[in-house]
Amino acid sequence: MMLPHLFAKPPRQYASRRDFLRTAGSGAGLLGLAALLQDQGLLSTAQAAPSEVRLNPMAPRATHFPAKAKSVIWLFMNGGPSQVDTWDYKPELGKRDGQELEGFDKNTGFFTEQVGPLMKTPFKFAQHGQSGAWVADIFPEMARHVDDMAFIHSCFTKTNNHSPALFEINTGFSRMGFPCMGAWVSYGLGSENRNLPGFIVMYDTLGRGLPKGHAQNWGAGFLPGVFQGTALNAQGAPIDNLYRRDDMSDAQQRAQLDLLRRLNKHQPSSDEADLAARIESFELAYRMQMAAPDALNIDDEPAHIRKLYGIDDPKCKHFARQVLTARRLVERGVRFVQIYSGGMENERSWDGHQNIKANHTQFAGETDVPIGALLTDLKQRGLLDETLIIWCGEFGRLPIVQKGGTGRDHNPHAFTTWMAGGGVKGGVHYGETDEIGHKAVVDRVSINDLHATVLHLLGMDHEKLTYRYNGRDFRLTDVAGRVVRDIVA
Amino acid sequence: MTLPSLFRHPWRRSLADCVLAALVSLAWAPSPCAALGDDVPADHAEQMEASMDLFKQEVRALLLQHCVDCHGGKETHGEFDLTTRDGLLKGGQLGPAVVARNPSESLLLKLIRHEGEPNMPQDADKLSDAAIEQIATWIAGGAAYDRPLVDPADAMAAKPLTSEQRNFWSFLPLETPEVPAVENDAWCRTPLDRFVLAKLEAAGLEPNPAADRRTLIRRAYLDLVGLLPTPEEVEAFVADSEPDAYGRLIDRLLDSPHYGERWGRHWLDLARFAESHGYEQDDDRPTAYHYRDFVIQALNDDMPYDKFVRWQIAGDELAPDDHRALMATGFLAAGTHATQITANQVEKERYDELDDMASTIGTSMLGLTIGCARCHDHKFDPISQVDYYRFLSTFTTTVRSEIELDFQPEIYQRKKAEFEAEHAPLVEALEHFENEELASRFEAWLATDVERVMPTWLVLDVASMKSEGGATFTKDEDGAILVSGKNASEDTYTFVVPTKVSGIKAVRLEALAHESLPHDGPGRADNGNFALSDFQLWSAPTGNASPGAPVKLINPKVTYEQEGLPITATIDDNKKSAWAVDGKIGQNHAASFALETPIDNPDGTTLTFILKFQNNTGHNLGRLRFSLSTLTEATSPKDEAAPEAEVEKVNAALSTPPGERTGQQRETLLAWYRPRDPQWQKLKEAVRKHQAAAPKPELTKVLIASEGLPAVRLRTQGADFFEKTYFLKRGDLKQKVGEADQSFLQVLMRVPQDEGYWQETPPDGWRTSYRRRSLANWITDVDAGAGPLLARVIVNRLWQHHLGQGIVRTPSDFGASGERPTHPQLLEYLAGELIAGDWRLKRLHKQIMTSAVYMQTADTDETRAAIDSENHLLWHRERQRLEAEIIRDAMLSASGLLDERMFGPGTLDPEQKRRSIYFTVKRSKLIPSMMLYDAPDALLGLGRRSTTIIAPQALSMINSQQVQSYAEAFADRLLSGEEGSTDELVTRGYEIALARRPDEAELADSCDFIEQAFESYRMAEHDEPRKQAVADFCQVLFGLNEFIYVD
Repeated sequence: MMLPHLFAKPPRQYASRRDFLRTAGSGAGLLGLAALLQDQGLLSTAQAAPSEVRLNPMAPRATHFPAKAKSVIWLFMNGGPSQVDTWDYKPELGKRDGQELEGFDKNTGFFTEQVGPLMKTPFKFAQHGQSGAWVADIFPEMARHVDDMAFIHSCFTKTNNHSPALFEINTGFSRMGFPCMGAWVSYGLGSENRNLPGFIVMYDTLGRGLPKGHAQNWGAGFLPGVFQGTALNAQGAPIDNLYRRDDMSDAQQRAQLDLLRRLNKHQPSSDEADLAARIESFELAYRMQMAAPDALNIDDEPAHIRKLYGIDDPKCKHFARQVLTARRLVERGVRFVQIYSGGMENERSWDGHQNIKANHTQFAGETDVPIGALLTDLKQRGLLDETLIIWCGEFGRLPIVQKGGTGRDHNPHAFTTWMAGGGVKGGVHYGETDEIGHKAVVDRVSINDLHATVLHLLGMDHEKLTYRYNGRDFRLTDVAGRVVRDIVA
Repeated sequence: MTLPSLFRHPWRRSLADCVLAALVSLAWAPSPCAALGDDVPADHAEQMEASMDLFKQEVRALLLQHCVDCHGGKETHGEFDLTTRDGLLKGGQLGPAVVARNPSESLLLKLIRHEGEPNMPQDADKLSDAAIEQIATWIAGGAAYDRPLVDPADAMAAKPLTSEQRNFWSFLPLETPEVPAVENDAWCRTPLDRFVLAKLEAAGLEPNPAADRRTLIRRAYLDLVGLLPTPEEVEAFVADSEPDAYGRLIDRLLDSPHYGERWGRHWLDLARFAESHGYEQDDDRPTAYHYRDFVIQALNDDMPYDKFVRWQIAGDELAPDDHRALMATGFLAAGTHATQITANQVEKERYDELDDMASTIGTSMLGLTIGCARCHDHKFDPISQVDYYRFLSTFTTTVRSEIELDFQPEIYQRKKAEFEAEHAPLVEALEHFENEELASRFEAWLATDVERVMPTWLVLDVASMKSEGGATFTKDEDGAILVSGKNASEDTYTFVVPTKVSGIKAVRLEALAHESLPHDGPGRADNGNFALSDFQLWSAPTGNASPGAPVKLINPKVTYEQEGLPITATIDDNKKSAWAVDGKIGQNHAASFALETPIDNPDGTTLTFILKFQNNTGHNLGRLRFSLSTLTEATSPKDEAAPEAEVEKVNAALSTPPGERTGQQRETLLAWYRPRDPQWQKLKEAVRKHQAAAPKPELTKVLIASEGLPAVRLRTQGADFFEKTYFLKRGDLKQKVGEADQSFLQVLMRVPQDEGYWQETPPDGWRTSYRRRSLANWITDVDAGAGPLLARVIVNRLWQHHLGQGIVRTPSDFGASGERPTHPQLLEYLAGELIAGDWRLKRLHKQIMTSAVYMQTADTDETRAAIDSENHLLWHRERQRLEAEIIRDAMLSASGLLDERMFGPGTLDPEQKRRSIYFTVKRSKLIPSMMLYDAPDALLGLGRRSTTIIAPQALSMINSQQVQSYAEAFADRLLSGEEGSTDELVTRGYEIALARRPDEAELADSCDFIEQAFESYRMAEHDEPRKQAVADFCQVLFGLNEFIYVD
């Protein structure tokens, strides 16, 4: 596949530019964002020439230490998949099917008056790969990649409700208003592509709604707005204002921009940093008009790749298109991509309150083939090593049945996350839940720990990635966080 | 301690352990039983005693010295807190730290022996072997504690402040600085300039001269009102040769209502103002915009800033009768609020909400990060956790509430007075008639020898009533029954009514409207309807058991029946069919039924009415009344009615010979006669009719924060607030350490007295606590409270917005981690000026804007930049980029599209043409064109926006439909009127957008572009090639740096 020269991907080109950035001396008087990055210790004066950051506040920045992962694709199973019905095999739960769970706190889940007895998984589990990982039979494709995955079975959250849990897993805080991980990563590392947003989010395109809390989940909080996630519009132009007017030709727009440039440059102050950067921003916008549609055009992909991802399968094509788009984006240097599977809540997402079998069968069916394909495809392109894949939801589900159906209620005490690629050790299982999968008990991993680990894989020390706001140095990991070193290759 | 022998019985062991452990640990160990296993040796108690001795003598000191700082003291690493025995046994992320009585299985011991990772203590020397041995022995004995290593209450003990802490610059009383002497007197226009120039001269720097008039007027317009001056205004100002021309310009702009719209937005940033709750559902707050309107109006009215602050904290307590004061409390209500709260999150959410109020007051008004002391004492500033929770308790009972307010009470008062003046003569006429004429007419009526009265319907007095569905019945004076309480999906009402009347030939059921019912009823369904499926009458002679026998009802008549739901359905055999009245909701209805066989019980009858509602969910009747008739069966439900008891009394009086009637009987007769006198009816009707048109106050719903009012409630599984606020160790709800009473920040309390100095108690019966009023007293107290800091913070904000940088460059952090003022004396001077000028901001605006430092040019040069590249000393004007709102407003004002209507509900419609401050701020649907230019997300207060430069801004400038529509309107404006030359058109465009004329090169380039674009569109057969070409040029004007970067 031929890429337009703008994207000529650039490891080499960027490597050399980065070298330039590292060695170029800085002029005095950085203003605006460059100054901000510098204030925050992200940009030493020896790192980026001011004009570079000015032209593109997303210019790549050095990591704290060498990293394997250059980009992240976060596959977010919205609504909270059930650990005991997916990756956390619990034979004991099958044995105790139908028994009351003694000492259970009825406020654990959301529906405090619908507490039923223990319920076995409706799915069959089998061992896969060299590592012999147990996987439920709803994931036949992903099961083929278990030797590349590191499973963390002992994740837990502080809250049992979607919105605060979504905020917590995205931002580290269950309250609104904090920057999400993608924003922190963009702030810390910039992006390798000047012509595309560095942090892109995709959500359900079947009209089942946005995740609860909407765009706050990919917001920049108190970080500058430039670091927030760009959610691709489900309909129309994928990015706002991407296309010029129908009745204006390229030549006409070019002429208009040429006049703008000439008049702007005519001002004696036009070489001042901010003003020069703004003049350049119009050129960048002009290029983005071409670059973004190209990156998002999956019709470019050869037939066998489209087939691999399941683009033609009505069951999963919507998610397949997003996963394939994600690959095209990271290939072009986009730093952070997050895809939400499922819409807002209940049966529109992995939130299987009523019938866990039907719910998880459906959503596994929507995602298994595309995710399996992504892992295969990245590997064959040699990109898996530098792309970190994360699979998780915002919490887990209870081992007991939710009375009135065959579903499961929310469980903040345990859920499974897996990561693959990007410097992750494959075939590893870290942490354990109790014998029925109710609570994480061994090597518990908090959301802060999860975040610390992802930042570590990207070459950042979570204690050093800070932003001073209202007099306090904030971190993604607040005052906690521990890197789960056992899963790092 | 000796052991009673009973404890040696093996089967009592676990109890013994419990009791012992309880004795040992006293009150602080929450669950001593759980802490001990089953496998306990017989001499356990003795061992524990020995272990505790060891703890007291040695181990306690070891743990305090080597472990506790990182594990439960200052910090809690690895979730391991060993300050209590429970915490020790529970362990942390690595699992249980200690297995009591089993040193070899205890992880803690392995780590301190360096037999496992991570070695402990981390980054410190290994403990001595002797020390390790003591700990091992202590564990072997059971790892006993006499009390926690750290007293939870210690964390909350108030620590006296040091003088160093109190003497930090921003906490000191205000100084009155002397205005410095300078060499270059001629440059200075105000005393402010002397403070600035003194520092410049000391650094060997010369400031810039004043900018030209065109630059100044554009700067002043955009700065003060956020709109462009018209070319005519520019020319007039340029031509005005009077020395005070500029001062008058500033005065005029300060008087403009647009000033509040411009500067109000700065405050709304700090107030994290939004019109939705946020979180999962992000429900709207449709009445929150009143707070925005309050801010705009208060600024336009030049409300003193201390009052502005006081009202936002406690307007409901300070001026409860002033609607503006109530609107002001929207400040406290503006924070986010979870829209779905599970049972175990309720308390946490409430503390988050209290934190939001306290923290926002801290950053916006005091420039202090109070919220940092939630989990530990503030790391930089002298704000302890004690201070935090005592401050927080101010808001314990404060909730978001919606109330109805009259914004123009004076109009209501006037209309009411007018009404009363008109009403009085009507009442007087009636009274006059009653006093002067009624008596003779009454006598005339009596003289006709009336023997007996008998209205068609006798209204019955219900004796007992019952609802199977659990509804509540209340009997009104007029004999009607009002239904309230539970509205079951189906219900059966039973009413028992005794009557003395015999010869009952018909009964009547009235279904009556009432204001308490949905849509005024008469039904209880959401639409005000009811559906009576079954109506039964039973009768029993008085004295016999009720209900007795069923009475067959026939020939029903009705005032109104809904199509398909006729009255006949109530007496048919179909249980589901029913009578209903949709189509005439909110009105009274009645149905009459003839009795197939009249009831004739000479000693009276007990009637039982049974009403069934089984047709439609919740369609029960809301208000009803029963009557009977002894007249012919052809009676109409609308015929005259009177209560049975009254008719009985009247007839008794009439049957008494006139001379023997008692005074009371005469009263009864007069009361009967009066409403039946035609003249009285006429006069009474005139009074009633006029009364019905009485003016009502025009009420508007407003979101406020207050106490003792119902909270705005969404989906929560718990309380809206808790009666008490507790000290929380480490901010943890599970670690409550006593109740926090209100106080303020110690470091800003400069009286020997305590918080009582500012506290007020509410008058008896008042619904709020006055805690917020007390806080308002403290925060604005210049002499002994936080007043000096309050003044410093606001004058710095004014300076920042006018000059581009604050004197303190961290405008919401005046604490130790914030920056120090670049011109401390100037800050003191300005704060003093503010207070001396009755806290009025407009005066201060003018002082700043007429200064030489404000009026200077933006020119820079290398020489001076080499000395002060950051312009800390203010040697040149800082060029400022317009904010998102003003960029749009300026485009609208250039295009002539601006809709200047102020106030009222906002909109999310990107097409709207009002000023951007009237966009609705919905947290999940922030306006994209605003967010693009760094508008805040309204989650936390923001004192200074970032100004990023990103490609999507440029994309929006060139491609967005809005910008194009503004450019087209701008083109229309340029093309309207006489068709001038392209030269003239370009010149006019520059004058409108940039307040200046183009130079030759600009003019030539622009004209060339328009001509070529015209040609190009014409070739492409564009509908309006010339207009499009001019619009493309206008769009270029919007894209110029000069348009949004104000010199």
